[in-house]
Order: sequence, then structure tokens, then C-alpha cells
Amino acid sequence: MKTPDIFYVEDDTDYAFFMQTAVSEVKDSLNLTIVEDGTEALRRLQSFEESKIKPKLILLDLNLPGLSGIDLLKIIRDIPFLRSTPVILFSTSDNPDDVKACMEFGANAYLTKPDGYDNLVKCVHSVHDFWFNQHLRLN
Amino acid sequence: MNNFSVDLTNCDKEPIHIPGKIQSHGFLIAVDKTDLNITYVSENVSKFLDVTANQLLDKPLASLNQFTLQQDSDFKIEDLLRLGIIKESFDAITPYPLTINSKPFYLIISVSNQNWLLEFEPVTLQYDIQSSIGRSASSMLQGKSVLDLLKGAAVEVKKLIGFDRIMVYKFLDDGHGEVVAEEKEDELESFFGLHYPASDIPKQARELYKLNLTRLIADVNTEDSPIVTYIENTPLDLTNGCLRAVSPIHIQYLKNMGVYSSFSISLVVGDELWGLIACHNYSPKFIDYKAREGSKLIGQILSSALEYRQAEEDAEVVEQFKDAVAIISGHLNRDKYLVDALVNHQRTILDITKATGVAVIFENNLKTLGDVPLEEDIWELASWLKTNSDESIYYTHRLSEIFPPGKKYKEIAAGILSCAISKDFEEIIIWFKPEQLTTVNWAGNPEKPVTFEEGLMSLSPRKSFETWSQVVKKTSEKWYPEEITSVLRIREIIITEINKKASEIRLLNDKLQAAYDELDTFSYTVSHDLRTPLTSIKTYAELLLKNKSIDGNGLKMIQRIILGADKMNLLIKEILHLARVGRSEIVFEKVNMPEIINDIVTEVWTAFKADNAELILGQLHDLKGDKTMIAQVFTNLISNAVKYSSMVEKPKIEISSYIDNNEIIYAICDNGIGIDNRYYDRVFELFKWMDNVKDIDGTGVGLAIVKRIVERHNGRVWFESKLNSGSKFYVALKYR
Repeated sequence: MKTPDIFYVEDDTDYAFFMQTAVSEVKDSLNLTIVEDGTEALRRLQSFEESKIKPKLILLDLNLPGLSGIDLLKIIRDIPFLRSTPVILFSTSDNPDDVKACMEFGANAYLTKPDGYDNLVKCVHSVHDFWFNQHLRLN
Repeated sequence: MNNFSVDLTNCDKEPIHIPGKIQSHGFLIAVDKTDLNITYVSENVSKFLDVTANQLLDKPLASLNQFTLQQDSDFKIEDLLRLGIIKESFDAITPYPLTINSKPFYLIISVSNQNWLLEFEPVTLQYDIQSSIGRSASSMLQGKSVLDLLKGAAVEVKKLIGFDRIMVYKFLDDGHGEVVAEEKEDELESFFGLHYPASDIPKQARELYKLNLTRLIADVNTEDSPIVTYIENTPLDLTNGCLRAVSPIHIQYLKNMGVYSSFSISLVVGDELWGLIACHNYSPKFIDYKAREGSKLIGQILSSALEYRQAEEDAEVVEQFKDAVAIISGHLNRDKYLVDALVNHQRTILDITKATGVAVIFENNLKTLGDVPLEEDIWELASWLKTNSDESIYYTHRLSEIFPPGKKYKEIAAGILSCAISKDFEEIIIWFKPEQLTTVNWAGNPEKPVTFEEGLMSLSPRKSFETWSQVVKKTSEKWYPEEITSVLRIREIIITEINKKASEIRLLNDKLQAAYDELDTFSYTVSHDLRTPLTSIKTYAELLLKNKSIDGNGLKMIQRIILGADKMNLLIKEILHLARVGRSEIVFEKVNMPEIINDIVTEVWTAFKADNAELILGQLHDLKGDKTMIAQVFTNLISNAVKYSSMVEKPKIEISSYIDNNEIIYAICDNGIGIDNRYYDRVFELFKWMDNVKDIDGTGVGLAIVKRIVERHNGRVWFESKLNSGSKFYVALKYR
């Protein structure tokens, strides 16, 4: 399995589609893996440790059926292998309580889902510029 | 024998039951119970029989027979006495008619410790009085009220004994007496309504009045006859005797009043001396034994009638109190407001006592009924009660003695009965009774019982019987136990009602809170869930815009989709905001207003591209509140001001604040299109747009948020506006 650049958990297929589109528009070569629910996400995350495959960035939708974004965040932070992987929470909610909770549980960033495609492209651009360039620098 | 020296300081200790003398219209012989030998004889026996007192002493009773007590030689006085002893009662044989020296006499036998008393008195009544007593009793009992009954009794006793003046004299609480009914000869001055001090009838006299239901003083001017005996140190007890001599002090008392003969009938109600029927004659007048017995019967009938009537009248009052309480209880059940139930109906809490005024203090409001002191005086009294009473019920009939400021309104409230509803005395009901007897007409000055004669202190009863008016001040009628009970009863009901209402309100409040929370959660969730598909719609639309195969017309439609989605998104965001205002806790902190206003102005001017709008900033006082929410309020108001003035030629927005009476008031003023006054009430409602702003972008939520935030800060928001010339919105927050 190819190492994903971005591992994205999103139950909304529409938004998954937009993200896919936006990511390709920003950088065609970026590898985006999308899973649709928390349980599947959990399985994949655990398999990363076994196969020593480490995504460069994890994007979590906050509101997921079953395991929520925060639940996944907690699990990720308990997997030593993934401890250094940046995790960004991604949600329509701009409720300060949600933001606070995510940061407390160790999210690297909290992004409100941009309104509209153009904004999403801009957002992905910034994420890419910040996290991936930084990542390169660290390497 | 009786060396007791009497003066006014000790007359209540005078041993009046052993005077050692008898009234001289009859004579007395006492015999020892064991051997029936004569032990005591009144000296005046010699005036009636041909024998001296000393000749009779220590002789057997039988020796009396030789003094021709009775024509009938078979009559033996000792047999009569023995008959009584065997029967254990002299009721059947007393009075026993005898003839002494051809004159008719009655023999009355009674007991005195170790002796039998044999008293002889003349018979003066020629006819049988029995039938007229029956008539008297029945006509007396026709009186409906207690007062009618008393008057009737006086009238009937007067008919029976023919004295000049018959008074019904009632003992009041402190022992002094009042004439409550009177029947007299027309030419006599009336004593009706006069009060007599307690010392006029000393305590031991009252005890005797209870034992001897009638008491005759035949002639105050005759010399009493001493009783002689050979027995030392044991004066004869005349408690049961009808000839018993009168205390010299009482004789003086009667003489002072010009009374020659006095007769009294005791009124005993429930073992207590209720009063007397006091009869005075202004010339000597003896009353025949039978007439006295008839009067006694009238007195007894009156006593039992009084007991019954008084109980009946009391019961009636209690019934009325209970009725009022029951009716008020019903009102309490139905009425929304407690105070309304207490004071706003035909029957009120004034009717549960005999008070003439009542004040209800409830939730810091004062309501009064009837005659009450001034409001400020009531408040003062209430706060005095709060600090000085720890009992929930407090009453006095002499308020001003305990609470001097009460003097001011003693005419209205000489007596108060207060009832605290709440433990902290914040809720209190006070009943008022007016100063009752402004004047008591004393028969003689009760303060000056001693007179000085010729430089010597002569201890005798008052000589002056001129009416002496004493103004009894600052005293109301007493509070009766029935009134206290009635107040306690209503207190219980009120408290139960308050508790019931409180729990109803608590329940309602809980429900409201739950509904409110649910609504907030609902709007929050709904808004949130709505945004996700909305984002999809917009995003797909934007993606479609990139699609080269769509023609110009199609692209326009896609633009409209995006615009619609944007508008909807804005709406949802605003609702989310509104919901959040309801949900979040308010943290009061100092808000730097110049800074916030500047930030907002910059943001708003940019957003609305309002470069041509003029801004005038006045004084900007800092506020205390939740910083984010305050910013929201001003963002919304300033945005509105800019938005609704954008179409005028020279928009002008003014923001200023001032302090007024504990509030900081901000005014945001524009010269825009204004608001039609018809819509005044709807401006702050959710989703209300005015007719004239259809073309302006808005969600209809902004002012609702403003109102909600301001109200959550316990502040006020309002506006003044004139169509087409501008609006001025005010926000007032407490200055802390």
C-alpha cells in the first residue's frame, strides 16, 4: 500500500469528493486516502503501526457516526508510532467549546470547513504550504 | 372578738366573714352540733324574746321553746333541727314560719363549722311571690342579646323587690367593674356606663358573693348587734348567715352614696363571679326572705342564660371568623395573586378578626384595608416588629407603651396583632384596633381612695361620688383568643398556599427551562446539520462554474444557486449565534469600549464599503459584561446603522454614551430610512423585516440577538425612530 500523504476521515461523501478535487487542484501528486467512518479509520490507523506506514498528515472530521473525530484523536495520540504525525480537526462547527476540546486532546490545528469550493482550495493550499513544507524542512 | 382594725390598705384582708355582729333586724342563735346547746347568741335577742343573751348561753336548744316561739305547743325547735340534720339539708324546712309575740317570723337554719346557725327574721311579704317570679323569668329571657337580657333582669328584679335603683354590674378583666344595665326611679341620676375601681369590692368579698348568692344590708344606719358567747378565741363564722353584719368600710361606702339599703344578687358564670345585680334604696327597706329567694332565682336564671348567650354570641363571632377564613381560603385557591385573594374580595382578612384596619406587606408591597396608619408609619412598625419580635404572632392592646412612635396613630392603632408569614418577617400581616375607650367614667376618683378630714387621716372610702372621668389613653380593645386562633388559622392556610404556588412555579420554571434548553439545542443542531448539505450545494455549484460545457445562461443560474446558498448560510449562522447567546454563561468583565467600537467600525465600514459614511464618536464609557456578546451587540447595531443609511446622500452615524441613574446608556444614531412606528413592537422579534427594507440584505435575527444579549445582561434596549429621517437605538446596562 502506498504511503498516504494525507489520511482523511470523512463520512460526508460530497465533502470527500470536494476535498479530493481540491487536493488534486492544489497538487496533483498528493496522495489522499479517505475513509468514511470511525471504525474503518481505527482499523487503518492500527495497521499503519504494523506496516510502518506513516501518513504525513491526518485530517479528522469532528462529527462522525460511531467513533467521533475527538475519539479518533485520543486513539491516535495513544499510538506511539503516530505521535509525531500532525492531526488536524476539520469541522463545520465553529463552537469554541469544540475547538477547545480538540486542542486539549492534542490536535495540531482546528479548521472550520470552508464555505464553498474556492475557499476550500484556498484552505488546502494553506494546509499544504504550512504542513508539507515544514515537513520537508524537518526532514 | 374582732379586733381587726380596718383601713384601706388592708381592707382586702378584713375578716368580713367573722364580724362578731349581726344586722339587728333579726336575731341569731347558734347551737353546738354535738349536744345542741346554745353556744352563741346575738345580744338583741332580748328585743324579740323575753330573755337575755347571757341567759340562753350554754342552755339546751329546747329551752328556747318556753319563750313561746310558736303558738302550737307541739312545736319543738330541736325536732325541726334534727329533722334537717337527718335529711342532711335544710332546704325543705327553711324558711320555717314561726310566730313570736304574735308577729310572723322566718327561721333560717344554716351551718357554721361546729355549730348550727339559727337566724330569725321578720316576715313582711303578705302574698305568695312564687307566681310572679315565673313571669319575671320568662319576660327577662325574651331579651335577644346579652344586653337586652341584662336590662330585662334589672327590670324584673326591680318589680320584685321595689328598690329605687337596680344595676347590673359586670367585672372586667382587671377586676374593676362597669354598670352594664340599669333600671331606676326616673328622678335618680343614672350610673349606667360608670366604672368602679377593683378596690370597691375586695377579693374576699367576691369570694363571699360566690358562696351567698344574695346579700341584704337592710339599713346602714341601724346599730349592729354583737354576738355573745362563752367560747374563747373562736369567733362565729357567719359566711352562710343572712344576718351577717356588714364591714364598717362598706357601710361607709354605701353612706357616701346616700344608700340606706343595699341588696345584691351574684351572677356566677362558669364558676366565676361574672358580676352582680346591685340594688340600692335611698331609704331603709327590708326585703322579705321569699322575695330575696325569688331574686336569687332570677339571678341564677340570668347566670345560666348569660353563660348560654355569651357562649352563643362567642360561637357566632367564631363562626363568622371561620366563614371569612374559609372564603379567603377559597380565593387563595383560585386567585393568581395571593394579596388579591386576601384583600380584593367582599370578604377580606379584615373579617377574620374584629380589627378595624389591616395592612398586608407582601413582596415589598403594602396593601391596606380599613383604618390604618400612614404608609410610612406601617413600614416603620413592620421593621420594628422584624427586629423586636421572634414570634410569628405578636399582639398588644397598648402598642405605644412598647413602641413609642405608635403614639402618633394611637387613635387608629392603639392595638396591633401581627402575623409574620415568612420566617424573615418580610411577609407580614398587621391588624389594627383603635384606641377603644377614650373616656372611662369612674364613680369616684380611683387614684384617690383616701380622704383627709379635719387634719386627721380618716381612713374611709371616698366621699365624693361625683363622676370622675379618666381618659384611658393608648389602649385598644383586647385581642381575644378567638381572634388569635383565627389569625393562626389563616396563617397556616396562606403558608400552605404559598408553598403550593412556589412548587407550582418551580415546576413550571423547570418545564420552561427544559423547553428553553431543548429549543436551544434544537436550533443549534438544526443549524449545524443544515450547514453541511448547504456547503455541498454551494461547492457543487462552484465546481459547476468551472465546467466549460455550461453556457452563459446556465452559469447565471449557477450564480443564483450560490447566492441563495450564501444567504441561507448567513441565516443559519445568525440563528446559531442566537442560540449560543441563550446557552453560554455570561462572564462579567470590564469591556474597553473605545477599543471594541473602533474594531467594529473598521470591520463594518469595510464590509459595507461605507467610505462615504460619516462617523461621529462621543464619549465611550466602558461597560461590564461578556466581551464577545457586547461586541456582538454593537456589531449588529452599527451594521444596521450603516446598512439602513447607505442609500441616503450623506450617511451619518453617531455613537456615544452617558451615565444616567446607575445605568450606562449607549446611543447609536443614524440618518437612514428609519422605522415605521407601527412596527415598534416587532422590531426585536425574530425574522421580522419592515416593509421599507425589503431590498436590504438582512437575516431578521440581528436585533433579536441584540435584545437577547442585553436582556441576559439585565439591561434594556429600545429605539426612537422617524420614517425616512433615521433611527436611534439605545442600550442601557447597569453601571457596576
